[in-house]
Amino acid sequence: MKYDVVVVGSGPAGSISARFAAESGASVLIIERRQEVGVPVLCGEGISKRVDEFNVLEGKRWIANNMDGARIVSPDGTMVKLAADIAGDETGYVLYRDIFDQELARGAIRSGAELMLNTYAVNILKENDKIKGVKAKQFGEEFDIEADIVVGADGVESNIGRWAGMKTTLKPYDLETCAQYTLTNVEFDRTYCDFYLGKKIAPGGYVWVFPKGKDIANVGIGILASLSEPGMSLKLLDKFINSHPDLRNGDPLRFLAGAVPVGEPIESVRDNLLLVGDAARQVDPITGGGLMASIEAGKTAGETIGKAIDEQRFDKEMLVSYEEKLKNTLYKKLKRNYAVKEILLGMEDKTLNMLADSLKDYKFDDLSTLSLVKALVSKHPSLLIKLKPFIKLSRL
Amino acid sequence: MGKPKALVDKGKCLACGGCISVCPQDAIVMCSSKAIVSKENCIDCGICIQTCPVGAIDNEEY
Repeated sequence: MKYDVVVVGSGPAGSISARFAAESGASVLIIERRQEVGVPVLCGEGISKRVDEFNVLEGKRWIANNMDGARIVSPDGTMVKLAADIAGDETGYVLYRDIFDQELARGAIRSGAELMLNTYAVNILKENDKIKGVKAKQFGEEFDIEADIVVGADGVESNIGRWAGMKTTLKPYDLETCAQYTLTNVEFDRTYCDFYLGKKIAPGGYVWVFPKGKDIANVGIGILASLSEPGMSLKLLDKFINSHPDLRNGDPLRFLAGAVPVGEPIESVRDNLLLVGDAARQVDPITGGGLMASIEAGKTAGETIGKAIDEQRFDKEMLVSYEEKLKNTLYKKLKRNYAVKEILLGMEDKTLNMLADSLKDYKFDDLSTLSLVKALVSKHPSLLIKLKPFIKLSRL
Repeated sequence: MGKPKALVDKGKCLACGGCISVCPQDAIVMCSSKAIVSKENCIDCGICIQTCPVGAIDNEEY
């Protein structure tokens, strides 16, 4: 079995990489460990409407709900409303993530990629230390898939990267451990994605409530693993739901666990190999959102691969242009947000409450730094000192 | 009795892969949608136990 490219994993990062590589003429095989693309879902199911600009999805079947914006709820319950365009990469559409993934995989297949289900990578295929593809297993049978380029799009576990000798192990400080329900029979009809903050609610993370429809919502929690105790995500999520009258009577249609890398992107290129998506830690460290990053990086990866196949050059020097291109765009943002994540983690609940109180009536249509700082400080002057690290950061 | 090692309760594991991503020993693999700890490689650091969102991993004396 021989292809130009073998992609391990059919999540958004894998399918988008495969699609753009196939579009530029490469022969591409995607292998997927699961028996159905996109199932089980491992996600809060929110995405920015910027996804439309990439033109990688057909129809509207993958959209569960349209959002007007986000509401951030501070530990003492103060609510700050943000319009969708400034609310970050997780607010815009609420997805049916399984259909979303399947549509992206369909796009890859229509562009010429092949997909094998029930097939997992057991190792990297090497010859004289040179990467030549992957060893895979399907229905108990092991076989070799030869390829000039291996794409590790295998998610948070990042096995391909590890087997290639890359430093993929996450510090507990850089992982959010998550649990999530899809609840029906909830009593609300909203067009806002809600984020609840607080050390007692979700240490080092947040609880999200994303409405998927009139009486149905994706309700989940992410906790920083370094602040977690065994089973804490699930316990705190249940506690949150039971203390909210609008959710308490909801019945779960789905229960899931998840793990989200919130570190900085890692080195993701070797001779004949690159990593993309969660496997490369391409996730917004503040929100834990990885869909937009995966699509952006996957497109760049696919186009770089196309060029490499054209020139029949698969060494690191060739493939590294993938990373170079991201350095000035996606990685710049992710690195800045990692610094912001560290500042936010150091903030007391009290500070978050003051921030929210200052911002609750702020008109975000005038989003200049000066007016924002004015609004923050005029109500709570002590915030000026707490926000110093942010001001420093904005000068970088 | 030997040293305690991490053990995954297969009835509870939901295959999120978090434990695999934080294991400093690469001692955990996913097999048929369940995480499995290799006793030989586990050093009982407890990171996976603390990380598991549903409390599916515990110490086991061997």
